[in-house]
Amino acid sequence: MNFTPRLPSRNHNVTKISPLRELAVLLGGLLAVIVIVYLLLGLGADLLVSHLSPASEQKLASVLSSRFTDKTKPTSREKWLQGLVDTMEKNGCVDLPYPVTVHVADSTLVNAVALPGGQIMVFSGLLRIVRSENEMAFILGHELGHFKHRDHLRGLGRGLVFAFISTLLGSSDGSIARLAAKTVQVTESGFSREQEAAADAFGLQILNCVYGHVGGATDFFNHMPEKLDPGHIGHYFASHPENRKRIQALVRLERENNYRRGPLIPFTLSETEKFLK
Amino acid sequence: MTDLIIILTLTALGYFAGSWAEKRHYHSIREREKQLLHLPAITMKDVPYPDEAVRSIHLVEGSAVISIDYFKRLLARLRNIFGGTVVSYESLLDRARCEALLRMKEMAPEAAIIVNVRIETSAIGKYSSKRNIGCIEALAYGTAIELKQQ
Repeated sequence: MNFTPRLPSRNHNVTKISPLRELAVLLGGLLAVIVIVYLLLGLGADLLVSHLSPASEQKLASVLSSRFTDKTKPTSREKWLQGLVDTMEKNGCVDLPYPVTVHVADSTLVNAVALPGGQIMVFSGLLRIVRSENEMAFILGHELGHFKHRDHLRGLGRGLVFAFISTLLGSSDGSIARLAAKTVQVTESGFSREQEAAADAFGLQILNCVYGHVGGATDFFNHMPEKLDPGHIGHYFASHPENRKRIQALVRLERENNYRRGPLIPFTLSETEKFLK
Repeated sequence: MTDLIIILTLTALGYFAGSWAEKRHYHSIREREKQLLHLPAITMKDVPYPDEAVRSIHLVEGSAVISIDYFKRLLARLRNIFGGTVVSYESLLDRARCEALLRMKEMAPEAAIIVNVRIETSAIGKYSSKRNIGCIEALAYGTAIELKQQ
């Protein structure tokens, strides 16, 4: 028996593949799966939303937004905003299956959001910018439009789907979950633009119904100082070109429906209330 | 955001530093394998020499611990999702085995042959932290046989 010493011609135990290529293939596959699952679940959430009764929405809302509702007394700012919404409902301009409550949150955010269960959250930063009642009414009308089109629930469904996916991935690796979050955000922003446009149209319709004209509808966009642009989370000020598109759409709607512009009602909230808080 | 930057930095560091270390290690392995080529290490239990020719018999062992890097870990985690060959760990284990065998051989420079060679692998620090950054140890051992001068 002879022993011939020699080294193997190549290493059979290590696959010859570029690690970067491996990363690209795996990451690409994972992102594709996430996007598909998210879109499918999002579609499912959309379908469910249309069947969700106002009662179950209220139940859902009590869990999610209890911290806004346990406040005892509404402030004068809240009363004033609530009055605007009540006027809209009294005049038959809005027909929602549940009462709408307006809350004001102290924050520098220039924004307002529609929460499940008929809750509108107005951030006080927005109140500092608004100059007329008509302007404020348009913003509230816009939020009511979200309720009317049930966008707030759709966002909720998608939010839950997103939370589900990130938890699923979060258990395995934090960095992957973050990457997924970015992907989802991109697909998400395309979706909400249509909803915003529809809510804008609804707000315009309400404005015309309550005041008999649509003066002040586009004012808000013009009043928003550039430095206060809240970025991608901003409801009313997504980005500059986006904003211009929305104004154009409103003006077009105004022309198509033969809405006219009338005198604005200046902000009735006392200046001290407006600026001290 | 800060977390993301930290993770991306660690992953990039893992890729560049890890590739560099691996390249250097393989280079060293190849060189030393050539030098130690004259010493056979086999798995047979039988000694192919008559008793009177044998001067001494002793246990030789070599072990090596190689750590995983963030980049390899990320690749392996992604593989966990889809299944398949975990390519990123292959070189890690291969390096540990080669290094352990070489160290075992280096322990017996006078030997004519090393018989009954076995290799064992274990994970170190697998559960030591939540992050689960571990390393693997390969242990190679065998019986070195030295022959009388002829």
